[in-house]
Amino acid sequence: MLSRVADNLFWMGRYLERSEHLSRYINVNYFSSLDAPNELSQSRQFVFQSMLALVSDYTRQSDKDIVESEVLYDLCLNKEKVYSIYNNVSNARKNASGVRDIISTELYESINSFYHRITNYSKENLVNYDLYSFTTEVINTTGVLREKIQGSLINNDVYAVIMLGVYIERAYQISNIITCKYVDAQVAKTSHGNAVDTSYEWSTLLKSVQSYDMMRSYYRKTPSELNTLEFLILNPDCPRSITNSLIEINKHIKTLNSCAEKNPESAEFYIGKTLSEYQYKTIDDIEKNIGEAVNNISDSLNIIQEKLNTEFFNY
Amino acid sequence: MDKESHIFSCYAKEAGFYDEIFDENDNVRAIYKSLFDRFKENSALDFDILDKRAKSSFLNQGITFQVYKEDQMKEQIFPFDLFPRIITAKEWEHIQAGVLQRNKALNLYLWDIYHDKNIINDGIVPISLVETSASYLKQMQGFNPPEGIYNHICGTDLIKHSDGEYYVLEDNIRCPSGVSYVIGNREALKRTLFGIFNGHSVRSVSNYSENLLEVLESVKPQGVDIPCCVVLTPGVYNSAYYEHSFLAKSMGVELVEGRDLFVENDFLYMKTIKGPQRIDVVYRRIDDDFIDPETFNKDSVLGVAGLMSVYLKGNLTLINAPGTGVADDKAIYTYMPQIIKYYLDEKPILKNVKTYHCSDANDLKYVIKNIANLVIKPVDESGGYGVLIGNKLTQEEIDAAIKNIKQDPRKYIAQPIMALSTHATYIEEEGGFSPRHVDLRTYTLLGKDKSYVLKGGLTRVALQKGNLIVNSSQGGGSKDTWVLKK
Repeated sequence: MLSRVADNLFWMGRYLERSEHLSRYINVNYFSSLDAPNELSQSRQFVFQSMLALVSDYTRQSDKDIVESEVLYDLCLNKEKVYSIYNNVSNARKNASGVRDIISTELYESINSFYHRITNYSKENLVNYDLYSFTTEVINTTGVLREKIQGSLINNDVYAVIMLGVYIERAYQISNIITCKYVDAQVAKTSHGNAVDTSYEWSTLLKSVQSYDMMRSYYRKTPSELNTLEFLILNPDCPRSITNSLIEINKHIKTLNSCAEKNPESAEFYIGKTLSEYQYKTIDDIEKNIGEAVNNISDSLNIIQEKLNTEFFNY
Repeated sequence: MDKESHIFSCYAKEAGFYDEIFDENDNVRAIYKSLFDRFKENSALDFDILDKRAKSSFLNQGITFQVYKEDQMKEQIFPFDLFPRIITAKEWEHIQAGVLQRNKALNLYLWDIYHDKNIINDGIVPISLVETSASYLKQMQGFNPPEGIYNHICGTDLIKHSDGEYYVLEDNIRCPSGVSYVIGNREALKRTLFGIFNGHSVRSVSNYSENLLEVLESVKPQGVDIPCCVVLTPGVYNSAYYEHSFLAKSMGVELVEGRDLFVENDFLYMKTIKGPQRIDVVYRRIDDDFIDPETFNKDSVLGVAGLMSVYLKGNLTLINAPGTGVADDKAIYTYMPQIIKYYLDEKPILKNVKTYHCSDANDLKYVIKNIANLVIKPVDESGGYGVLIGNKLTQEEIDAAIKNIKQDPRKYIAQPIMALSTHATYIEEEGGFSPRHVDLRTYTLLGKDKSYVLKGGLTRVALQKGNLIVNSSQGGGSKDTWVLKK
């Protein structure tokens, strides 16, 4: 496989996965805030700041007034905003176009028609009454596309590279969403005092990564800071956890590396090491310094990405 | 327009042109009888629906091309007409023999002018036409391309004149495009109107890529056992990118860009995730000028530095060979009957359009005098750019054209205005079928001990009423083209 082709496949996977997470984050946070339990969480300003913080290096300022229709347009359809769902889908399609001779016709057609639907979406409808159906459509379509990836490609290196992109992006998104909601909970505590019940923010975090129901059935407890983080970072069986993503990343990198010799500098070696670290970590280790623990996740992902770049995508 | 009315009710034949559907007495020609009966049952409303369905099929499949309009790139569907063009078995036999003959002669001509130049020494073709051609590559002089083949892939453009005969308009032997639309059109017609295939035995067009791969492999460099073939594309922003990816996918070979390739120790490699892999045959969809910044255009980022030296050392086959443009130039076209006679000792099977060379003093005189009845074409432009149709020009335009021709006569040829036949084409604004001018591009492959003509072709339609230029860049559409088995 060409290195450029591998790069295109990888980023196609990443952008598709990113569109899904962003859509769900907007959807869950916006709609749950409408009847949130405390004033702060109900405040649209607070919610939009959290959304902007997820997609950009936005710094939260309490005095800044965010216009709802503008921010929703920016996040969903604005072609000028690199982070918009439009641009994520458009980038996924650009990358798919670069490899359309490699991927299945059905997969390409689905991505292509998805792009045309997003392109033709009306701004007025979106900001006035279509936010729910727009974000739901993106979530559903990305799900269908993942099925097409899994169901219409031979499970060889092409498939492995796409899935590497999907799972690396998933790990990044979960870690970023954890950071955002962790900050939200901190802000809630600061403004309402420690007595405030932050379980609302943890529930929203779980819903933002489609893990609320799974978590409830697993713990049978109200989400708290620690059980939520334990579930989303360490649970190997939750398909939306960091550890589960690392298990998948590890599986797919092995398809690409047929070399029997161990190379401590390789991506494969580093991925295996990182996975072991999370497999043998406990929530007590994380609790000591939650902020740092979450930062460490992104640092490890950055190193994995760099190693993949030099080893496979160098063209 | 009443949407329920008969969709052929507004069909007004153009005088002086051969209409492919109706004969001179306005009766439907026999081969179109059953199709015509079938189509006329539909109302314009039915047709609008079918038309939209075909369009969205193209858009979703990503069978589009990009054009610059109002300073930005726009994605467009190549307009597709649902009424297929039919070519009878007998007509096809004639066309097929004719295009093969031309392309074999062109190949021998290319060998000759890059070797001993006998045809020039014998005074058949003037040396000035070769030496002054911008497409003549001195690097190719004395070089033997693998298996002696230059023009592996040729697109020959034909028209049906008012006398009902086919004439060749031009030979395209650089990077002829459009073949994916032949296959895409067939696919779209099957999806939209499968019933109309009943009662016709139409030849398949789906085996083109298999034959293409065989041709690529047959001209591998010496000493290579199983060649690694690739398609080289300028990239996703090229207007023909769909075609490039289609060809690579259907042959099962890698689609590469210049940045995927590099030259080392006189071999060409592509960069893969498992290290460099050697390439033996490149079907390049990049013009000569851009394939190698070391040899040609220094600013080209599309090609590969050193590619020509690998080729000239015999370690690589390029499809088509560099320098073929010297033979498909519109000035050489006029010598085709002599070229065929010289190399094959045969009479040309297909007719050539009478051509006047502005470089010849007598011809120039004639052209200037009769410009209103001629088509003026720049010799080294393609895509219909720069073509002037005499009877459509204003006096100022005529004056300007004459001035340009006088300044650089070698740059222009002139031909009588050919009467491209018309074919029934669905025109949305008119709510029915109208005659529109069509041509036909055929695709011929030449390999070692192998030749092949795609049994079908691209029927291009000029969608504007009365327009004679069919190129897609000039707003042309296309039709599925049926070659009948008997």
